Amino acid sequence: MKIKVVMSKLGLDIHWRGALVVSRMLRDEGMEVVYLGNQFPEQIVEAAIQEGADVIGLSTLGGNHLTLGIKVVQIAREKGFNSLIIMGGVIPEDDIPLLKEAGIAEVFGPETKIENIAAFIRSHVKSGIA
Amino acid sequence: MANKQSQSNQETLGKEQKLLNQEAIKTIEKEKERWKEETVKGKVGEKEYYSDSGIPIKLLYTPDDIKDLDYMEDIGFSGEAPYVRGVYPNMYRGRLFTVRQIAGFGTPEDTNQRFKFLLKNGATGTSVVLDLPTIRGYDSDDPEAEGHVGAAGVSIDSIEDVEALYEGIPIDEISSNIVTHLPSTTVVILAMFVAMAEKKGIPLEKLSGTNQNDFLMETTVGSSLEVLPPKASFRLQCDAIEFASQNLPRWNPVSYNGYNLREAGTTAVQEVACAIANAIATSEELIRRGNKIDDFAKRLSFFWNLYNDFFEEIAKCRASRLVWHDVMKNRFNAKHPKSHLMRFHVQTAGLTLTKVEPLNNIARAAIQGLAAVLGGAQSLHVDSFDEAYSAPTEESALISIRTQQIIQTETNVVNTVDPLAGSYFVENLTQEMAKRIRDYISEIESRGGLVSVVESGWLHREIADFAYQMQRDIESGELKIVGLNYFPSEQSKTKVEVFRYPESAESTQKEKLRKLREKRDNDKVEKALRVLRQKCHEDVNLMPYIKEAVLAYATLGEIEELFREEFGLWQFPLV
Repeated sequence: MKIKVVMSKLGLDIHWRGALVVSRMLRDEGMEVVYLGNQFPEQIVEAAIQEGADVIGLSTLGGNHLTLGIKVVQIAREKGFNSLIIMGGVIPEDDIPLLKEAGIAEVFGPETKIENIAAFIRSHVKSGIA
Repeated sequence: MANKQSQSNQETLGKEQKLLNQEAIKTIEKEKERWKEETVKGKVGEKEYYSDSGIPIKLLYTPDDIKDLDYMEDIGFSGEAPYVRGVYPNMYRGRLFTVRQIAGFGTPEDTNQRFKFLLKNGATGTSVVLDLPTIRGYDSDDPEAEGHVGAAGVSIDSIEDVEALYEGIPIDEISSNIVTHLPSTTVVILAMFVAMAEKKGIPLEKLSGTNQNDFLMETTVGSSLEVLPPKASFRLQCDAIEFASQNLPRWNPVSYNGYNLREAGTTAVQEVACAIANAIATSEELIRRGNKIDDFAKRLSFFWNLYNDFFEEIAKCRASRLVWHDVMKNRFNAKHPKSHLMRFHVQTAGLTLTKVEPLNNIARAAIQGLAAVLGGAQSLHVDSFDEAYSAPTEESALISIRTQQIIQTETNVVNTVDPLAGSYFVENLTQEMAKRIRDYISEIESRGGLVSVVESGWLHREIADFAYQMQRDIESGELKIVGLNYFPSEQSKTKVEVFRYPESAESTQKEKLRKLREKRDNDKVEKALRVLRQKCHEDVNLMPYIKEAVLAYATLGEIEELFREEFGLWQFPLV
């Protein structure tokens, strides 16, 4: 079974390059990636549940990580999506502990190698931490 | 005598005049072969060398690499056709490039304070970036705006906000750049700006500045939840340009945004070609509406992104002027010299900023900024070193201004015009860039023109493919980035002071909106919006009707909601 990732731009953030490149490269890594484009937290969680996703990937460079990012986790847990939620983009270091505390499993900055994201996903999905 | 002189000039001008003596070229070509065999002996490097756009780069450039050039035809003098050497005769001796640093965060009042700080420290114009809800057409109290108000730019909901933004700023003396991105945002914000000036009693001919207004920003470069169809967005783009050409003689109603295309993922060639293709499409549309090319072409301006490939970027700047002159003169038959000259703003490349060892970004931005000046830019924004972390702090923004001032005053590069002209390499590269830009414009046109390649998703695929390949090249190490994959940084963490957006902006803006909706004459708003709604379906310019609406205190979100209802939404291609 391929690992299934639902990838989304968070809210109004317009920068789609990163989300798209990561999506394509995770496909190269053998995962199935559903790229949603821009969505708000409710729709992202809904799509992840419908798709039976193992992972939600959130991308933001627009400064909405603490507000909308955390909201995704809250809604996901309310609706019973208990799998992995990860985030990438331009995120200040100081905010990363807050995001992790809220339930974002990992935050990947601009210079992350995609194979590292893939490795993280594999280890967490397989080990059942997700 | 003078007459005779001029006549003889014309006679010689009519003939092809090569820059260099063709006999001498033959000798040089022969000698070059000898040199390769006897002196270089095949030691030309271990690999093939290419520019960032994929142009093969030779070991050594010599006169035979520019043997076909005709000086007057292909290069010329500054301030004269074909403007390769610069758009003004005396370039930076006449006026230094404008130090234009973007600012925008929080409420209009917050950004107004940053404007005043930058102006006090030597900025010579204002440049404002808007927050995402404003750019995407939502009021601060719209549920869609949650979490974004005042975050990546300043929040503008109504004409009152535009008034607060420019409070105490002499908009009749210094130029105002407004990074409106989308045409739908532009038509509203420009209407607010013009209405504000009228209320203040400032004659419209005194307003100088630029707004961005590029339908590629709406439909291609940035994705969003609700996107207007390319044709509708393009129509609004043309409305703003047409309105300004008739009412605002010193305003640039468009800045064709190669910059953000490049950030999304293109080569330097594609960046310039798409922007010029957009200007071609605009010109065709405005002519269809009954305008004359010389009525509007002189106010079309451009926006380039300069990466680290120093000479290619300089050649790009020169080549873009060459291609533009050709398009305007020969394709559109523009007569006014100002229609033939391309003016552009440069911002250094955000994408080249690294998060590791962020102070290195000061060096990168300085090199890119220098290239912009050697390329003859009219205004410049130098990125701040901390922009891979957040919007710049006051401290890092000041370093960006200082970088520009160092280029302006300490390097002496501004003292002579286009100093790299005549370099065998730079002239050869300029010609090659121009050729490739023309070829890519032809490719776009063979696919039905720019609006069509957006509608079909072709341009999105071009961008996505490039971005994907670039990431692969970084990960494989083929594309080297200092501190990242070349001499990777050993510093595990660099402490960077992060700029914090004022969190109170959302509640402040919401409260202002609540009061506005209470005190305004809502019947007047309704009436203005009703007229605008109807006009959306007629072949007319919407600007005057939008201006009426903003004067009645209709909000940006209300007007843009109307656009979404009347023009419908378009499915952004998920490539």
